Amino acid sequence: MYGRKACQLVKEFASGEKGQLAPFNSDLFEQVIAECSQHHLEFKSLIRKTQEEGLDVQTARNADQYGALSHHLALVRNKRCLMAYVYNRAEIIQSLLWKIGHVLPQEIEEKLCHSEKEYFKKHSAALKSYMSKELVELTVDMVPPKDPYVKVRVLDDLGIVVCDDKANNFARYSIHSLKRTDAEQFISRGLMEELIG
Amino acid sequence: MESSSVAAEGGSMDDYEALISTTDVELLKRAWRNEKSAPEILRFESHLISRVREQIQLMEETVEEKTTEGADPLSTSLYQMDLDRTLFLLRSYLRIRIQKIEKYMFHIEKTEELWNRLSKAEKTYTRACTDGLKQHLEETVLSKLPENYQSVLKQSFISEEDDMVPEPRLETFVLCRSREYLTGIQLGDGPVDDRSSQLFEMEPGDLHFICYKSIKALVESGKIDLL
Repeated sequence: MYGRKACQLVKEFASGEKGQLAPFNSDLFEQVIAECSQHHLEFKSLIRKTQEEGLDVQTARNADQYGALSHHLALVRNKRCLMAYVYNRAEIIQSLLWKIGHVLPQEIEEKLCHSEKEYFKKHSAALKSYMSKELVELTVDMVPPKDPYVKVRVLDDLGIVVCDDKANNFARYSIHSLKRTDAEQFISRGLMEELIG
Repeated sequence: MESSSVAAEGGSMDDYEALISTTDVELLKRAWRNEKSAPEILRFESHLISRVREQIQLMEETVEEKTTEGADPLSTSLYQMDLDRTLFLLRSYLRIRIQKIEKYMFHIEKTEELWNRLSKAEKTYTRACTDGLKQHLEETVLSKLPENYQSVLKQSFISEEDDMVPEPRLETFVLCRSREYLTGIQLGDGPVDDRSSQLFEMEPGDLHFICYKSIKALVESGKIDLL
């Protein structure tokens, strides 16, 4: 049936966990693309047939005409599904930039297709250039601050790190009181956890 | 005697509140709240933002001074906290706008009214975003489709309007408060004869839960605050 594969593609995206990416389904994707070309061929041949019969394409109302219309509509629908699939994934990729930062961990990068990786890089560069023009770092300070300092526990051996003009020894499981803005970059990368209460 | 002193006190309280409500940080808070609740992007508050930036710089210098002087740590941390809060407001304000741009980049890019609301840096950012996404969509989908179906903005060559562009939903409902007495607010787009019966008025300070579209112009002119 026309449009079934495209529908599957969209369903696959929609049934995935919100905000999470599944591997790019290039197999099914290519099949839908192929279906589009097929529709176009049939569409053109039906139009040609109408013309050969000496009928006006605009006003003719016969089976061929409606057939051509079905092919056109199926193609448009497939396009919408393909675009929705890519577009919605691109939205998640944008959101990853905010949640994880400018470097993607390998397990996520594996799920992206080539063009998506390029897109992430470009988008990240665009955001970086905006932030350097405006002289603000937007990826920190995601929640309203209650206290300028937060208590954090280091989850990995980070060695000596200079923060706030002081050299800190971030040994694993050590607890520190850091400036929120300094701590946030470590927390978002999963290297520290905030101790609450 | 007593009553007059109470009145005077009340008066000074009002003055104080009036004064506080016009500080740049308060104005930024208002702009931030409006931006946060409005479904579409609002005008960039360029003068306000540049003033706030100057103040942040001053505050940073104060904190720096206090730290090097070895002043009372409590007062230093209070200054620091004040600075952090203002910085958060500024960052959050810019961030909300950037995220709206990410969401509706094609719509903003092609709608002149919205485009003119952006700051210079935001315009550059929008261009970079749309270029990136366009290229990505072309590479994955559009270049592989038949010729008449390759537009990013239109479904096919038959479409007269751009029917593939995500737009913000202006029919959404928002919580708002009027700053002055307003009348003649039109709810809905009913036929002309029905309209008079649907005109709506607002007292200052009252909360309303209302369709954004019908108060859009009043939010833009600063007569209504969103919450």
